[in-house]
Amino acid sequence: MISSLSLGIVLTLFIYMLSKMLAKRYPYLWLSPLIICPVTLVLFLSVFHVNYTTYARGAHYISLLLGPATVAFAVPIYKNRALIKQYATAILGSLVIGVIIAFTSSYFLAKSLNFSSQMVHSMMPRSITTPIAMDLSTMLGGQPNLTAIFVIVTGLAGSIVGPLVIRFMRIRSASARGLLLGMGAHGCGTSTAFSIGELEGSFASVAMILAALVSIILSIFFF
Amino acid sequence: MKIIQICVQILIITTFLLIGNAIHSYAHLPIPGSVIGLVLLFLALYLRIIPLKLVDVGAKLLTAELLLFFIPSAVGIMNYPDLFGIVGIKLIIIIFISTVFVMMGTGVTAHFLSRKKVQTDDFKS
Repeated sequence: MISSLSLGIVLTLFIYMLSKMLAKRYPYLWLSPLIICPVTLVLFLSVFHVNYTTYARGAHYISLLLGPATVAFAVPIYKNRALIKQYATAILGSLVIGVIIAFTSSYFLAKSLNFSSQMVHSMMPRSITTPIAMDLSTMLGGQPNLTAIFVIVTGLAGSIVGPLVIRFMRIRSASARGLLLGMGAHGCGTSTAFSIGELEGSFASVAMILAALVSIILSIFFF
Repeated sequence: MKIIQICVQILIITTFLLIGNAIHSYAHLPIPGSVIGLVLLFLALYLRIIPLKLVDVGAKLLTAELLLFFIPSAVGIMNYPDLFGIVGIKLIIIIFISTVFVMMGTGVTAHFLSRKKVQTDDFKS
């Protein structure tokens, strides 16, 4: 019993640290811990015939930190409060539009390919930051584990298409660049934005967190 | 020493989570407790009830290692073997298309709204 409890925790921590070291040495997108870490864990568990329930018995203690991590988002919001005040209209306006496009396009695209309603509802919150996306998925009748996967794929997709959208649309302002990256690809978009510039990064981290709040408010009223 | 400081700060942040959860269940609010906690912590900082340095380091660690916390959920993909086939490819295509739409819509709106703001600022000066 004790060994199966520690298995999930130790294994996850170990592979997480290894994948971070790997990413530091070889900073390619396809070697990002976002891909390497879950893939390695799934392979390991499959090879050794450990089922997910056994793994999750211990590993879910790690997931418990998603709650405090969400609360901790108050700190970047507080630090960027002057920026938010100055650009309140642009931030709020673009995020409301972004959230509406994210939810409706995921809904209709998934629906048109005949996915089950659980799948469709798990897709809808995919563009916001994981802990809140998973909460929202439960609220909408989706499956939080599926949502976590869709959030990861969204982050990777956004890191690839984000810079292309910026170039193709000739978006030059730091505010618009940061907001579209943070709205479209949450944490991944935010780190892409920080690689463009400090101001872009600040806008993206604000967008990432506020997009999650806007999503919750809009889904209470409309979904 | 640093580790103790981080742990204490994470405990303070967790206290806000617990208060948020309590409000969520007693007031029957549809908003998740973690988000209520986020708003409460922001208000506490904004109204100077607690100083930033009491939560700064802990918050930085929690947000920097966010990926670790949702890895166990992502591993849950092994319960959905369908996703490894054609279904998975379809979903990836949907996500790419939708992400392009989201980014274009957000970028254009932000560009338009912030340009208008710069113009009014110019006008004032």
